[in-house]
Amino acid sequence: MTLNNGNTNGITAIGDDGLGQQPWWVEQWMELINGYRFKKRLERAWGYAREGHVTSIRFEGRRVHARVQGTDEAPYKVKLWLDVLNDEDWGYVLEALTQKARWSAQLLAGIMPSDIERAFAASGKRLFPFKLQEVRSECSCPDKANPCKHISAVYFLMGDRFSEDPFVLFQLRGRNRTRLLEDLAEHRRKALAERAAAAKDEKKASTPHEATPMPPHAAVQDPALWWRYNRSLDGDLVVITPTMEGDTGLDAAGELPLAEDPRFVEARSTFLNNLKAHGQASAQKAMLQAMAAGS
Amino acid sequence: MSLLHATWLPAIRTSSSSGQPALLVWADTWRVATPEGPGLTPALHPFTLSHDDLRAWLSERDLLPGGCIDATACLTLPSRTVKPRKSRNKKEEPAVEPPGWTGLPMQAGEPIPKQTEWWPWQVQGLAVEASAATEWLSRLPLSGTNPDLADELRWWSHLQRWALSLVARGRWIPQMELSKGEGYPHRARWVPLLNREEDRRRLEDLAASLPLVATCALPWREPLGRRSNRTTRLRPEAMRAANPVASCRPRSGRLRVATLLEDLVDAQLRMDFEPSTDGLDPLLTLWQEALGSDTGVIEIGDEEAERLATASHHWREGIAGGFAAARTCLELHTPPDGEDLWELRFGLQAEADPSLKLPAAAAWASGAEMLQLGEIQVDQPGEVLLEGLGRALTVFPPIERGLESATPDTMQLTPAEAFVLVRTAARQLRDAGVGVELPPSLSGGLASRLGLSIKAELPERSRGFTLGECLEWEWDLMIGGVTLTLRELERLSGKRSPLVRHKGAWIELRPNDLKNAERFCGAKPELSLDDALRLTGTEGELLMRMPVHRFDAGPRLQSVLEQYHQQKAPDPLPAPEGFSGQLRPYQERGLGWLAFLHRFDQGACLADDMGLGKTIQLLAFLQHLKAEQELKRPVLLVAPTSVLTNWRREAESFTPELAVIEHYGPRRPSTPVELKKALKDVDLVLTSYGLLQRDSELLETQDWQGVVIDEAQAIKNPGAKQSQAARDLARPGRSKSNRFRIALTGTPVENRVSELWALMDFLNPKVLGEEDFFRQRYRMPIERYGDMSSLRDLKGRVGPFILRRLKTDKTIISDLPEKVELSEWVGLSKEQKSLYSKTVEDTLDAIARAPRGQRHGQVLALLTRLKQICNHPALALSEGAVDDGFLGRSAKLQRLEEILDEVIEAGDRALLFTQFAEWGHLLQAWMQQRWKSEVPFLHGGTRKSERQAMVDRFQEDPRGPQLFLLSLKAGGVGLNLTRASHVFHIDRWWNPAVENQATDRAYRIGQTNRVMVHKFITSGSVEEKIDRMIREKSRLAEDVIGSGEDWLGSLGGDQLRNLVALEDT
Repeated sequence: MTLNNGNTNGITAIGDDGLGQQPWWVEQWMELINGYRFKKRLERAWGYAREGHVTSIRFEGRRVHARVQGTDEAPYKVKLWLDVLNDEDWGYVLEALTQKARWSAQLLAGIMPSDIERAFAASGKRLFPFKLQEVRSECSCPDKANPCKHISAVYFLMGDRFSEDPFVLFQLRGRNRTRLLEDLAEHRRKALAERAAAAKDEKKASTPHEATPMPPHAAVQDPALWWRYNRSLDGDLVVITPTMEGDTGLDAAGELPLAEDPRFVEARSTFLNNLKAHGQASAQKAMLQAMAAGS
Repeated sequence: MSLLHATWLPAIRTSSSSGQPALLVWADTWRVATPEGPGLTPALHPFTLSHDDLRAWLSERDLLPGGCIDATACLTLPSRTVKPRKSRNKKEEPAVEPPGWTGLPMQAGEPIPKQTEWWPWQVQGLAVEASAATEWLSRLPLSGTNPDLADELRWWSHLQRWALSLVARGRWIPQMELSKGEGYPHRARWVPLLNREEDRRRLEDLAASLPLVATCALPWREPLGRRSNRTTRLRPEAMRAANPVASCRPRSGRLRVATLLEDLVDAQLRMDFEPSTDGLDPLLTLWQEALGSDTGVIEIGDEEAERLATASHHWREGIAGGFAAARTCLELHTPPDGEDLWELRFGLQAEADPSLKLPAAAAWASGAEMLQLGEIQVDQPGEVLLEGLGRALTVFPPIERGLESATPDTMQLTPAEAFVLVRTAARQLRDAGVGVELPPSLSGGLASRLGLSIKAELPERSRGFTLGECLEWEWDLMIGGVTLTLRELERLSGKRSPLVRHKGAWIELRPNDLKNAERFCGAKPELSLDDALRLTGTEGELLMRMPVHRFDAGPRLQSVLEQYHQQKAPDPLPAPEGFSGQLRPYQERGLGWLAFLHRFDQGACLADDMGLGKTIQLLAFLQHLKAEQELKRPVLLVAPTSVLTNWRREAESFTPELAVIEHYGPRRPSTPVELKKALKDVDLVLTSYGLLQRDSELLETQDWQGVVIDEAQAIKNPGAKQSQAARDLARPGRSKSNRFRIALTGTPVENRVSELWALMDFLNPKVLGEEDFFRQRYRMPIERYGDMSSLRDLKGRVGPFILRRLKTDKTIISDLPEKVELSEWVGLSKEQKSLYSKTVEDTLDAIARAPRGQRHGQVLALLTRLKQICNHPALALSEGAVDDGFLGRSAKLQRLEEILDEVIEAGDRALLFTQFAEWGHLLQAWMQQRWKSEVPFLHGGTRKSERQAMVDRFQEDPRGPQLFLLSLKAGGVGLNLTRASHVFHIDRWWNPAVENQATDRAYRIGQTNRVMVHKFITSGSVEEKIDRMIREKSRLAEDVIGSGEDWLGSLGGDQLRNLVALEDT
């Protein structure tokens, strides 16, 4: 990932190179930055980010705290935050989210629904900031301009953080992942219970549901189960073969969703390669071990 | 005998413990123990081997795991209540309060008492750390039963095999596990991925079959503490606090098994992972190092840990879900008539039993309550459904469209989408943990492939006895349950749509289908009876590369097929004319079966359990041929030398019409001409395996009608000379006519894969193919890995040619009397013969000359000595030790060895009675050497306490001795030994009442088995004459029974000579 000096399309060059594969919400974030008018400042900010001047980014509650090593000896402290939705607003959002099973299904699978804003529209609010100005920020540097290059450097890296975990955006709006999914489930349960109750009333079926107690384990009746095992080896385990090229768990999992440390651009791929090499060696060893079994 | 067990010790995390899980290897053994109960802490398990004994025991068997340490753990085991015996010494007051409950832990295989208790026991064993445990478990046998290893070790070996398979297939991903609290650091772990359909099913299987002893350990702290580098014993109060007396109730479940699997996979991948950290950022460096470290502990700040954990969980979630009791399931339904949109219904499906399904509407309707899927309870059904749908839409995006409402339960798919689902997405969805149910005609099994529907019948005049003959038949192409013509197939293929509808069913055509069908139609193939047998025998057989979906046999063909596949037993045959004796009903069935295979010219192996009368059935078969005028040339029967006499005796009594000769001894014919002369008008020739080999060329010159091998395990080694000789004899040269082949054996031959090939090579060489092919296709997969599908296939192939019935079979047991008496006729070895003759000659003269008063004593001494010679020369010569040639010197011992081999193999127990204590000692020494196991001997000199211990052990120890020697006098009365199902009378007693009394030790009320009573009779000797007297109930016998041995003294010279002289038989 390099930035073409003096080229006003520098930021999109990043997009073409590495971010093109990114989830849509990261792209949207980058577009937001891309819309910023002072390109020169952005270039410097990118340089900052790439050279590892941003030494830490922490999501603490609804705020982002970052430290950026500037010209001063002590790093500057950067704070970023968005306007938080209040409980009432969230109520509307959750209500809207239960209307489509797809939204719940996608959120549970870790996917940010592309039309998520429609659910937020119910509260009259947005999930994504519409303009960069909506992203509130503070920096301890003497620079008067906002965003300064330190804040901008943090912007860049936040895009990566979003791809790590889309729920970070929800967190900035006031609900972290666990809380959001719990609230959503709660809402759904209520809605379902109401529907179920209504349906029951219609049917006038009033048999109360009784929880059946867990039956005792079979071994209580038949203590010989303590030792008994009379199955034979699963036919598919008779011959142990390696998987086909590109069909391992690592292949399916793809890139590790961990934000890149700009000082170590090759780190993630090196790590993955180490794992894959180890996987191949272990597979080989496992097969030899399997072949020697029972002999 | 000791039995080895293995139990997982979950990681205990204390300030002093490393917190690593380990495998506890321990062994229990039967011994007399006093009942105990939990006191301050759980009681010590009274049956376990001590650390040192266990180490020695394991080393001896080459099973000692690497890197193990002595450990004590607390296991919950089923226990029986036993009241403590009252202390005889009344003065001794118990120091501590007696426990509220006393009893003993139960052992595997022990009879289950009415009331079982679960109590914790302290068990000594060796703790093997996880990585060493994986290596140790990989070395355990995957199949078969081993007397040293408990069954649950096979479960462990299967679990480990699965772990190996996961590693080999790369089904794992590294994870970051967050601290669960104080003293529990963050850890880097290698986690298996169980999202694939096959792995999910395997988890259910292994969880359902989990032997609970594998996971019955409670966290247990040893009574040793560590203080400033010194080991100290914990005080009782501290022990009580650390180890409360608690038992874990039986539980099982996929989560427990998944955790075990995780530990095994983690241990395997952790080994040797030490790549360079060059180029890694600090966070990944820490993670990578922790993934390769012994403990996985990662020293990292909470916030960084959380970030890593979130990232690694996201990484994993994309491919694998959790372990819920149910999963989302998608059901594809074909379009209604005249429409072309397919329907996809959403629902839930139980993991443990995919046939338990509920539609999505039910999940939505249950609201927040539990949903019952059969016996399985599903928590939060709506959440499970949504979570699964989320994973489904990442794999198969069209589903998105169906989820626009709040509670969707169905959606429509275009034909193109339906095809994608059938062809590729269904598999991917299953791998992502989402169930997919396709319409049966498309479900991807064999039925959905293009195949054949066949109708066939025997030709009018055929009797169905020759395999090569052609059948009358017609066939249709068939796919997805409907038939179609080639023309129709061409038309459907022209449609260019892979999913087409024909006769109301949706079918999937594959690119090669038309080509295969055209080739088949063009070839105009014929169908032989052989083909029909093959196609109907095992599933998935192909005819010219086409699977056969339906096979309709006409009534006459059907009855041949059924008999052949033993779905219907061949008609029983009554005892043939000229057979003097009665056949039991199952023996008539056996005879019918032999005759049936004979008609087909197929070799047959009669493998009935010992004592069911294989000899009788074979003789009846020969007599049947004789009566039918089909026995035109002599039949050669090969048997071990030790049973030749028996054959001859049985033939004399059951089939007197058969002319039988022995080809044996120095005076046997040695040239083809002589042999031919000797065989004139002979029906049955008996010879030994030794001579089969030595005289093979000579025997080959004759035109035999058939070859029978008795004790067919003698040819188990295909390379051995006698096996080759038997095989050559079974395949006559061109100039000679076909020979029938029959093998007799009492061993469970169908379970001895390695021996099957040689046997089938003798009987029907084509059935199992060449030896190399056999080894690759069947022997390796079955013996090494216990592959059931190969075994089933093999059994399907050899099944028609092997008939094995057990005396415990329901249909047999009703035919058998409760006590079956078998006479075992044996001969004498050369040494026995000359010793016997010499003794008779020398002594008779002496007796004749002796004064009347001493005669009585001398006669008795003679008889005793002769009986001793019949047992073994060493007994008569008062030799005290057993040497290498011991077995060869006695024909009786050789026969005994053969029978006992079968008894031991069958897992039965036997009582052996002798009247000579010296013989008992010699036999005991020899048997312990021969079977490498303990054989107790109860005789007049055994102390009373020892006697009781021997009896208790034989009756109660689940792995106690299988053989029990008793002297007739000491063991004949007052003992209850009903666990034995065989009784051997090695030598004869004059009085049958004494023998019967001894037999009754085993045959008593409480005996559920049939008891086989084996009586050894040395033919031609005094033993035979005693036997004859008893059986014929002659006047002499009356005297014998009435008046003990006194009459012997009064025998006249000739009478005495007749009684003792060795008759040449």
